[in-house]
Amino acid sequence: MMLARVADSLYWIGRYVERAEHLSRLAVVMLNANLDRTDAAAQAARIALAAVGDPDPTRSAQVLQAAHALALDKEDSGSVMISLARARENARQVRDQITTETWERLNLLYLRVTDPGVEEAFADDAAGFLQEIIADLHLFKGAADATMSHGEGWRFMLTGIYIERAQLMARLLEVCFSDAARPAANDHIALMSLLRMACALEPYLRVYTADINPRFILEFLLFDEDFPRSIRFSTERIEEHLAHLSRRLEGERADALRLAGRLNARLKYADADEVEAAGAGSLLAAVADECAAIHEAMYETFVAYPLELSLPA
Amino acid sequence: MSSGDSVAQVQTAQIRAAGSSPARQSAYLPGEAYDEMFAPGGATRPHYELLRHRIETLGADELEDRQETLERSFLLQGITFTVYGAESSTERIIPTDLFPRIIPATEWSVIEKGLTQRLRALNMFLADIYGDQRILMDGVIPRDLVLGAPSFRRQMQHLYVPHKAYANVCGSDLIRGTDGAFYVLEDNLRVPSGVSYMLANRDASRRTFPGTFRQAGVRPVERYPDLLLATLKSMSSEWRSNPQVVVLTPGVYNSAYYEHAYLARLMGVPLLEGRDLVVHDNMVYMRTTNGLRRVDVIYRRVDDDFIDPLSFRRDSSLGAAGLFNAYRAGNVVICNAPGTGVADDKAVYAYVPDIIRYYLGEDAILPNVETYLCREPSQLSHVLANLDKYVVKAVGASGGYGMLVGPHASAKERADFAEAIKADPCNYIAQPTIQLSTAPCLVDGAMEPRHVDLRPFILSGDKIVVTPGALTRVALKRGSLVVNSSQGGGSKDTWVLADDADVAALDEPAKSAGARP
Repeated sequence: MMLARVADSLYWIGRYVERAEHLSRLAVVMLNANLDRTDAAAQAARIALAAVGDPDPTRSAQVLQAAHALALDKEDSGSVMISLARARENARQVRDQITTETWERLNLLYLRVTDPGVEEAFADDAAGFLQEIIADLHLFKGAADATMSHGEGWRFMLTGIYIERAQLMARLLEVCFSDAARPAANDHIALMSLLRMACALEPYLRVYTADINPRFILEFLLFDEDFPRSIRFSTERIEEHLAHLSRRLEGERADALRLAGRLNARLKYADADEVEAAGAGSLLAAVADECAAIHEAMYETFVAYPLELSLPA
Repeated sequence: MSSGDSVAQVQTAQIRAAGSSPARQSAYLPGEAYDEMFAPGGATRPHYELLRHRIETLGADELEDRQETLERSFLLQGITFTVYGAESSTERIIPTDLFPRIIPATEWSVIEKGLTQRLRALNMFLADIYGDQRILMDGVIPRDLVLGAPSFRRQMQHLYVPHKAYANVCGSDLIRGTDGAFYVLEDNLRVPSGVSYMLANRDASRRTFPGTFRQAGVRPVERYPDLLLATLKSMSSEWRSNPQVVVLTPGVYNSAYYEHAYLARLMGVPLLEGRDLVVHDNMVYMRTTNGLRRVDVIYRRVDDDFIDPLSFRRDSSLGAAGLFNAYRAGNVVICNAPGTGVADDKAVYAYVPDIIRYYLGEDAILPNVETYLCREPSQLSHVLANLDKYVVKAVGASGGYGMLVGPHASAKERADFAEAIKADPCNYIAQPTIQLSTAPCLVDGAMEPRHVDLRPFILSGDKIVVTPGALTRVALKRGSLVVNSSQGGGSKDTWVLADDADVAALDEPAKSAGARP
């Protein structure tokens, strides 16, 4: 049993920290690619900006500005800074529900990105700055895992993390593998950037060796059972957590679980050859839509349910 | 820490020039006020001896380091209040001083007895005022003064309150005068705050002076959360065996939000906002992920006016519609009870010694500060003639607003205020300016005297419990007497020492542990 508002806040903490981590990683890959004297930087910037829904081609030419906007833009609601501020604001509202260890990690991150010296720190070593944010976000998740009870609240937070992750990965893959983007997917540099943005380079190499093949990459990021950033891994977790959260619900109210189960089955029993033949675009679009539907259903089921259903007769 | 005072800055410069010398006593110049640490001749009071010894062995740099660590830990924990500016809001910590304020056992036992007596009498007074009103019939207090007070809630009339415990949490403000005695300056019976600072300061000072803390035999305050929970549960024990207790907060934008969350976390109960509550058929529920769940006791940190738009302020969205009716029906307990404010009204305050005598037949153990009621014509003319000597306060205001500090005001300010008093004499009281006692504080690396008050916390449910500790509020500006955090006040930990017998008991095992090979 927990307050509906609290569950909602915990869910959003999960979504925002995942978003912050993903955006930081996109920016780091852009900045690191910028060091090479090839067109890698422009390629990486194009993928990253398209993945966050900013297809303006002129911006990808100025990598540093683009990275800065991703990280610290106060106006853009989709920047690392705003995501962290919102995660922390949600955490503040449920301060009594998360452990001190977990809260302090997140509060520390917030204090870092809102520090008056943040612009200077970023200008000094942008990639280093962002890498530290990613490392601190890992500490946050570790602290949550190690100190919070793995009960309802924790499951709401993790559902938020995995729904966000599945959506972000779907969007990133769409940029590289949707039917219109297919030619670009053959570019070695672009594929390496993609693996780095998905934090998947080393795990991929272990499975497929240094054979950078678009088909393998798509398979790995969509269907791998063990890699924590594959879409299949995320949908599996979403279903698992929702199954726990819905245990005490009656049939017709467990809509979120039904949707999650359907999405997971779609990935679990998918045929790689069929996807290859039909193009990944439709599957990726479906993942994004289904995640949005699960999000809605969760809100209807756990937070904004109609009162008539639950008043004593 | 900032001090705009030029004298303070000169002294700081001298200390800095001396390098990392210990924070020396020579810089410490207590004024005419009673000093908590030093007796008038300059000798250290015995209960401060251990601390003085420890401070002398630490360098000024070391002290500043510890101060920084302390502030950093408050910021990291989020023990902050929000300051709203024009464009953006910033979060600040309440300045916290490194040196604890120490109260010996004998002094504390007087405070404890005095506060218990006072709260017992005030609860009886509230039960009477919202009951048969005997005290008004007997003419002890003017009827219009009580019934006309803005904090009087006629909705509470003839309403059953378990144990007649109206003010379940009370935070009285005590001050020590130049004669060394404690006086009650104010009773806070509505929604007193600051207890989280008492607990957080204790946490910090245990780490800052661990050895001294253990040796001194300080009484623990850590039981406050479970005592509070027991008090709240006792309010509904008559009809529910395991009541659902909740904390009701106005929300994250309230300046005391940290405290609300802190108490909820330490008590292990849900922290609710008004929008989490549903009232149906005079029952109060909270919206959980698994449907509605009954609520039995609400520790509300929302003012009376805002808890129920149907019974009180209509434009409030901080409470729940129908909450008060559920309370009337006896299906939920609201703590503190609405309407307790009438007993800490600044005009009623003047009558508290009479109230204690009337209900308990005893003299007040802790005296009041001498108070003139401007509503009485003879007292009004006296106040107006001596406006330069008094502090005049508006009855309805709090937090250091709406007051005139006579000795520090200009002739024009006094003249303007005199007009305001004459226009509405019932709304004002006057008290002599009191030199609050001073305690040593760390200011820019040097030890300096600052004025302090004392806010202990008293719980009342089926019984009355005084927590052996308090929030000591500090006026950080040199010479200032205003300790409110909204007016630049800070705080420090308060050590209440155990009786000597207890100290010996605490010391023994420590010594033998040290002697072991």
